[in-house]
Amino acid sequence: MVGYSRIQLWQYITAILLIFLLAWHFASRLPFLRGVDSFAETLAPDKVYEDLGGASGVLALALAYTALFHGLNGLRGILLEWLGPSRKPLVNTVVVILFLVFAGLATYGVVGITKP
Amino acid sequence: MAQALKSAAKYPPKTVRVKIKRYSPETGREWWQVYEVETYRGMTVLDALLQVKEKRDHTIVMRYSCRMGVCGSCGMVINGTPRLACQTQVSMVASEENPEITVEPLKNFPVVRDLLTDFTSFFEKHRKVKPYLIRRDTQEQENPKTEYRMTPEELLEIYPYSLCISCGLCVSACPVSASDEGFLGPQALAQLWRYTADVRDEAWRERLEIADDENGALKCHFAASCSAVCPKAVDPGGAIQMLRSALLKYKLGLWKKRKISEPVPPLEPTGEKVPLPPEAQTLPGVDLEAMEREPVVIDASKLLD
Amino acid sequence: MAGRGERRFLKNMPGWRASFNPWILKLPNNPERLAFVLHRVTGILLILILFLHITVTTTPATRGWEFWVEEIRKAQGITPVTVYFFIFAGIAIFHGLNGIRLLLVEFLGCCVGKPEKPKPPYISATLKAPQRTLLYIVFALWIILWMIAGYIIFT
Repeated sequence: MVGYSRIQLWQYITAILLIFLLAWHFASRLPFLRGVDSFAETLAPDKVYEDLGGASGVLALALAYTALFHGLNGLRGILLEWLGPSRKPLVNTVVVILFLVFAGLATYGVVGITKP
Repeated sequence: MAQALKSAAKYPPKTVRVKIKRYSPETGREWWQVYEVETYRGMTVLDALLQVKEKRDHTIVMRYSCRMGVCGSCGMVINGTPRLACQTQVSMVASEENPEITVEPLKNFPVVRDLLTDFTSFFEKHRKVKPYLIRRDTQEQENPKTEYRMTPEELLEIYPYSLCISCGLCVSACPVSASDEGFLGPQALAQLWRYTADVRDEAWRERLEIADDENGALKCHFAASCSAVCPKAVDPGGAIQMLRSALLKYKLGLWKKRKISEPVPPLEPTGEKVPLPPEAQTLPGVDLEAMEREPVVIDASKLLD
Repeated sequence: MAGRGERRFLKNMPGWRASFNPWILKLPNNPERLAFVLHRVTGILLILILFLHITVTTTPATRGWEFWVEEIRKAQGITPVTVYFFIFAGIAIFHGLNGIRLLLVEFLGCCVGKPEKPKPPYISATLKAPQRTLLYIVFALWIILWMIAGYIIFT
C-alpha cells in the first residue's frame, strides 16, 4: 500500500509552489507594476496576451496545473472524510476527470491564444 | 482549572435547572428532560447529576467513578463544551441570570443510553498504536535486571503525553472525528507520539508506518480543539504536529530517532558514604557510627509488655 | 427506530457540519478552530472559483478577443465582476496566509508547544506557543491585504 504521506508531501510541495506562482499572478494585476492606471486596464487584451503568450504562458500553465492538483487533492481528502472509504473509487474517478478536463482547458487557453 | 478554583470559592445559584439529553436504545427516542436541583457551595455537575439520580429519577444512566478528575469516566458535553463532570463546578457553568445547565453525551461516540457512551472503538484505536514499550531484546525486557536509562530531560519529552486519562474529551471536540469514524483520533495519535519519542522504545519505524495510514496523523488539520478541551493539558494537538513532521521528514530521509537508551549497568557498591547535611541533628544519645558497626535489634516481645 | 427488544446505539456525530460551523461546540481559547473552518471553506470555494477562472481565462482562445473585451468592460468601478474579484482576493489571501502557517506547523513542526510539566491553570503548551501569535498575524495581515486588494480593484 502506498503511504498516505507521499500524497501529502505533494500537497505541501504544490502549496509551496503556489505561494510563489500566485504571488506572481497577483502581482501581474497590480496597475503600477504593469505601467497602467487601473486594475481593469491590467486585463486589457495586450496585457493578458503578455501573461498567457510566450514564456509567461509556461508559468501560467504551471500555476493552473499546480492549483488544480492542490485544490482537487484537498477536495478529495475532505470528500473522503465526509463520505467514508467506501466512496473512494468514485471520489478518485471524479477528481481525476475534473483534473483532466480543466487541465486540458487551461492548456488550450494558453496554446490556442492568438495575438490581439 | 484556575477558573474552577475561582468558581469553587463562590456560591452557585440556589437552585439550577439541569437539562439532560436522554436517549432510549429500545425506542430510538431522544429527548431533553429538565430537573430542578438545590445546590451548595462547591457542588460539581457530577454531584448535581447524582442528586437527580438519587432523589428525582433513578433511570438516568451515566458513567462515573473516581469523582476527582483521575479516572476519566465522566466526560460529557456541559453547556456545549466537552468537560469532566466531576471537575466542573456548578458555579462555573450556571449563574443567577442563567441557572440552566445542559448536559449531553460526548459527541463522536456512540450513545448507549442517556449520557453513557461506548468507548469500544476508542480503545481499539488506542490498541492499534501499540501503546507499550517495544524492545528488540525481548528476553531482557521480560526479565529485567535493571531499568533503562532515561534522563530528566528525556522524561520531559514524553511526560505530558503520559498523563492522558483516556477521557475522550479530545475525540469529542475533534472536527475530523466528527465526520470520519476511521480516523485514529487525537488520543491514539498523541499516544503514538508518546511511545515514538520515548528513548526506551525501539519500534519507532513500525509506529511511524501506523501513523502513515489514510486514517493516521495526516488526517489531522490542526484545529487544536483537542488541546483546548484536554483536562490534563496533555496537548494532543501539539503531539500530532510533532508526529506528522517527524513522519514526513522520515519519509524524505531527514529524520530518525536520535537515541535509544540502554539498560543501566548494575550498581557496584563503592563504599562511599553520603554525609549528613550540616543542619541534620541526631537525637541526644544516638551514635550513628556505633549503630552502623552494630545494628540495633529491637525485641518485639519486650515492646508488647 | 429500533425493533422490539432490539437495542441500538445512537450515532452522535455532527458530520460535515463540524467543518463549517466553528461554534458547533463552545470551545474556549481555540481560535485555531475558526482558522480550520475558514481554511476549509476558503479551500472549497477556491477550487470552485478556479474552475470558473480557468473557463473565463480561456475565452480569448475559445471565443475570441471581442468577447473578452466585452467582459472586462464590466470590471470597472463597483460591479458584480469587481465584487467577485474582491471576494476572490479575500478568499485566496486568507487561504494562502493560513497555508503558510500550516506549512510551518504541520510540515516543519515548528511553533507548536514543547512538552512541559503541566501546572495550573493547565493550558496545553501549543495554545501558548508561537503558533498562536502566528495565527493572529495571519488574521491581521489578511484584513490589511484584503483592504489593499479592494482599493486596487475598486479604484
